[in-house]
Amino acid sequence: MLELHSLSKHFGGVRAVDDLSLTVGQGEIFGLIGPNGSGKSTTVNLICGVFPTTSGAVVFEGQDITDAPSHRVVAAGIGRTFQNIRLFGDLTVWQNLWVAQNSVEERQTGWLTRWLGGQRRGRDYAGELLKFAGLADRANELARNLAFGEQRRLEMARALAARPKLLLLDEPAAGMNAEEVSQLATRIRALRDHGMTILLVEHVMELVMGVTDRIAVLNFGQKIAEGAPAEIRSDPAVRTAYLGTADA
Amino acid sequence: MADFLQNCLDGIATGSAYALLALGFTLIFGVLRRLNLSYGPSIMAGVFAGTALYTAFNAGLAEIAIATVIGAVVVGAYIERLCFWAIRKDMAVASMVSSFVIWMQIEEGVTLLFPDRTYAFPGILADAVVEFGPFFLRASSLAMLAIAALAVLGLLGLIYRTHFGLAVRAVSENPEAARVAGVNTGLVTLLAFACASALGGLAGFLIAAGDEQITPLFGLWATFKGLIAMMLGGMGSIPGAVLGGLLLGVVEANALWYLGVETRDLIAYMLLFAVLTFRPGGLMGQAALMARRAAESRV
Repeated sequence: MLELHSLSKHFGGVRAVDDLSLTVGQGEIFGLIGPNGSGKSTTVNLICGVFPTTSGAVVFEGQDITDAPSHRVVAAGIGRTFQNIRLFGDLTVWQNLWVAQNSVEERQTGWLTRWLGGQRRGRDYAGELLKFAGLADRANELARNLAFGEQRRLEMARALAARPKLLLLDEPAAGMNAEEVSQLATRIRALRDHGMTILLVEHVMELVMGVTDRIAVLNFGQKIAEGAPAEIRSDPAVRTAYLGTADA
Repeated sequence: MADFLQNCLDGIATGSAYALLALGFTLIFGVLRRLNLSYGPSIMAGVFAGTALYTAFNAGLAEIAIATVIGAVVVGAYIERLCFWAIRKDMAVASMVSSFVIWMQIEEGVTLLFPDRTYAFPGILADAVVEFGPFFLRASSLAMLAIAALAVLGLLGLIYRTHFGLAVRAVSENPEAARVAGVNTGLVTLLAFACASALGGLAGFLIAAGDEQITPLFGLWATFKGLIAMMLGGMGSIPGAVLGGLLLGVVEANALWYLGVETRDLIAYMLLFAVLTFRPGGLMGQAALMARRAAESRV
C-alpha cells in the first residue's frame, strides 16, 4: 500500500533519513520507532510532502507521490496528525472537521458547489466523526478551548475527515495518561477494523507493542530492524540502540 | 448638533468605501500575514481601465464598473504571482518591498498610457440629493453606501458561511495545518487576493464616481486610507475593518467641517496614533491578539 524506496533526506551534513526502504501492507498497523532524532518525524514529513526528499521515492497504491504537494497527498488518501497539535483554534470543533472534508468531496461534486456549499452537510458528516472521537457534545466549542486530550482526539478526527486510506499518527500518545492511551489503542484498532491502514510513529512502548502488527526501528536515519513486536523486543541491535537505554 | 449628525451621515457614506479598502487589505493580510502596498495602485489601474472605456466608447455605468473590477483583479493577480507567490514564507519584508517596487511600475505604466494625469469619470446620479427630514445625502453617496453595504454583507457571507471562507480562515490561522487538511493553500491565497482586488475595484469605482475624476495619485490615496482604516479596526479582523473604515470616514467628515481641509488628514493620523497607543491590536484586533497570546502561553 505504501512503499518507501531508498528514501533519504539530508539537512546540510546531517542524514536525517538515510536510504530507508519500507513496505506497509493494506490493513496493517505498522509501527515506526526509534530514539529521539532518529528520523521518524522526518519520514512522516517526507511522505506528506512537507519538504522535498534528497533522493528515493514514495509510492502509494502504485502511484508515485514523491514530493507531491501536501494537499495532493491528502487527496491521494493519506491523512496525518502532528506531534505538536496543529488545530485551527479560532474555528469551532466541527468546523475544524469541515475544512478537511473539502479535498474529498470536491472531486465528487465539483469545487464550485463545494466551496459555495452551505454548512448543513458539513455538520452532518462531522457529527459522526465527533461521536467516534468522543467529542459530540463539544461540536460548537472553539477548538482552542478544548482540553489537551480532546485536542488530540480532534486532530485525529480531522485527519479522518478527509477519508484517508492510510493514517499517519505522529506520536499520538505524547502527553497522555494510561487510561487515555488505552482508549487510543481501542480507537486505532477500530479504525483498522474499518479497513484503514495505520502508520504509527510513537515513543510510548506499551502502545506500540500492544497494537502494531509489524515494527521498523530507526536509528540515525537508518532502519536497524524490522519485524513483529515480539521479535523487535528481543532483537539485540534494537536493545542496544533503543530499548537497552530504557532498561539500563 | 445637527451639523455633527449631518457630518456623521456624510462620513458613514465615505467610510463605507474606506471599509471596502480596509477589507481588501485585511483579506490579504489575513491569508498571507504580509502587507501588499500595491493594493491601492492595483485599484487605480482598474479605475483607469474604467475611465478608458468611458472616454473612448462612452460606455454605461455598469460596463465601467465591471471593467474597473476586472482591471483591479487582473493587476492584483499579477502582484500576487510576482510579490507573494514567487517569494515564499519567512520573507515578509521582501514581499512588502517588492510590492512597493511594483507600485512604482504600475504608476509609471499608467502615466505612460494616460499622459494627461487627470481624467473624467462618470458620476452616479450626479446632482441628485436625497433628504431625510433635516438631513440630506447626495444620491451618489447613498448609492456608495448601499453598494458598499451589499458588498460587505456578501463578503461576510462568503467568509463565514461557505466552505471557501472556511478554507480562507483556516489558511489565515495555520497554513501548514490547512495543507495537511487537504486545502490547496496556493489556490485559496490567489482567490482571496482576487476577492480583495474585486472589493478594491468596487471601492475604486464608487470613489471615482463620487469625485467624477481620477489621477494616478489615487493609488497612493487608496493604500493610505485602506491601511489606516485596517489598523484602526485591528490587523486581520474583518469586523474591525468595517468599523475602522466607518470611524475614519466619520472623524474625517467632522474634522473637515469644524477644522478645515488642511487638518483633516492630521486628525486621521492622530486618531490612529491614539488608538495604537492605547489598544495596540486596534479596536477589534485586541481580543484576537489577547486570545492568541493566551493560547500560545498555554501551549
